[in-house]
Amino acid sequence: MNRGVARAAAQWLALLESGAATERDHAALQRWRDSHPQHEQTWQRAQALRQRFSDLPQALAMASLDRPQPGRRAVLKRALGIAALLPTAWLLSRQLPIQTWRADLHTATGERTRMALADGASVQLNTATAVDVDPAQRRITLVEGELALNVPAATAMSVQTRYGELTVSQAEVCVRQLDAGCLVSVLKGSVRVRDLDGRTATLQGGQQAPLKSSGLGAWVAFDALQLGWRDGVLTAQNQALGDFLRELARYRPGVLRWDPRLEQLRVTGSFRLDDTDRILDLLASSLGLHVQARTRYWVTLS
Amino acid sequence: MNDAVVPTHAPEPTVSSLYRDHHSWLESWLRRRLGNAWDAADLSQDTFLRVLASAQPIEQMQEPRAYLVTVGKRLLVNFHQRRSLEQAYLNALASLPQACVPSPEQRWLLLETLHALDDLLEGLPVQVRRAFLWSQLEGLGYREIAARLNVCERTVKRYMAQAYEHCLLVNL
Repeated sequence: MNRGVARAAAQWLALLESGAATERDHAALQRWRDSHPQHEQTWQRAQALRQRFSDLPQALAMASLDRPQPGRRAVLKRALGIAALLPTAWLLSRQLPIQTWRADLHTATGERTRMALADGASVQLNTATAVDVDPAQRRITLVEGELALNVPAATAMSVQTRYGELTVSQAEVCVRQLDAGCLVSVLKGSVRVRDLDGRTATLQGGQQAPLKSSGLGAWVAFDALQLGWRDGVLTAQNQALGDFLRELARYRPGVLRWDPRLEQLRVTGSFRLDDTDRILDLLASSLGLHVQARTRYWVTLS
Repeated sequence: MNDAVVPTHAPEPTVSSLYRDHHSWLESWLRRRLGNAWDAADLSQDTFLRVLASAQPIEQMQEPRAYLVTVGKRLLVNFHQRRSLEQAYLNALASLPQACVPSPEQRWLLLETLHALDDLLEGLPVQVRRAFLWSQLEGLGYREIAARLNVCERTVKRYMAQAYEHCLLVNL
């Protein structure tokens, strides 16, 4: 299959289905199909593909094919899931881990901060994050949590994590420490990653990959909206409520619990992280949930 | 056979020696990840079949176990993908009113089709996949999809083109 022909056919299909195709577009499409047997053949295959989808019973097919995606992302989700289910004792131990006190900079749960570094570089720390900054070595060590580093200059800075090291110059990257590794998301430019075994690889803007003790995993494309915390925003696009709440819980001290039956409700919207109580109220009113706050630190949704 | 260095004391690796030396090891590796022996045995057989069918000549394999694990991991991901589809399918079937439940034969055919389409869509970004499914299955227009995804209509059009191109290239 010729990639160029597939791309052309795909563009035509996308135009036709937009409903914005004109008479002239239809005529031009016909000319394209007539101009080469391979064009017509590809067009017929695309029609067969559409037919395959339209023959399916809608509800069953939608529920099966649009299920929450497993695979590599599941690894991350599992890590998050466990974090959200662990009991209070764990939460308490997590509030003040000992390494945090040795770090130069740290944020409490729900707090975010930004710090300017040399040469126009800047680092932002998300909730419950601790870093060591070594200006002489141009090195930041991520002890806990999540940081975003922007280095506009050509002089590199490095980010040290438990699972390897990143070299950042003329690039912007976000690193999140998870239980079994960290998640590296390159927002701009390219970032060199060196794992614990000394193997190096490069991630480009728009690529996200897990870095673990076993090395750098396969990258996936990611949506920058996922990293909206840098602007103080939590964005969900048709996200499962369970996943959304697990993410929200990172920004709230105390316990956030919910009825497991709510797990698969869908959430769409952008929420200001400044006031997470308000986010809960918004969710409650738009999804018809009941928020029961025993204290500000023990909230149950049902 | 080229003049690759083969130590004289070790027999040249062959299909049967590869299988004999590593299959129980691979099976227990898979069992630890799957939690049951039957699926592990199946996946281990699949892994060997893939390796035998691959272009890599067995006698040139430097580290057969590393290679088997690489192939095995891919099959594991695929296995979980299929399992999760089956689970979602069963859940959806269970929630249908009795009158709408398809016959056993239809149920089976439908599952096969869903597996094929799921494989076809594998690798598309989540947003693109969603947009495409909404358009193809629910017949939603770009405007509605744009609103659901909180993106503009041009982006939806780009997603659709991306999904079609992906499917056309995969679906050979």
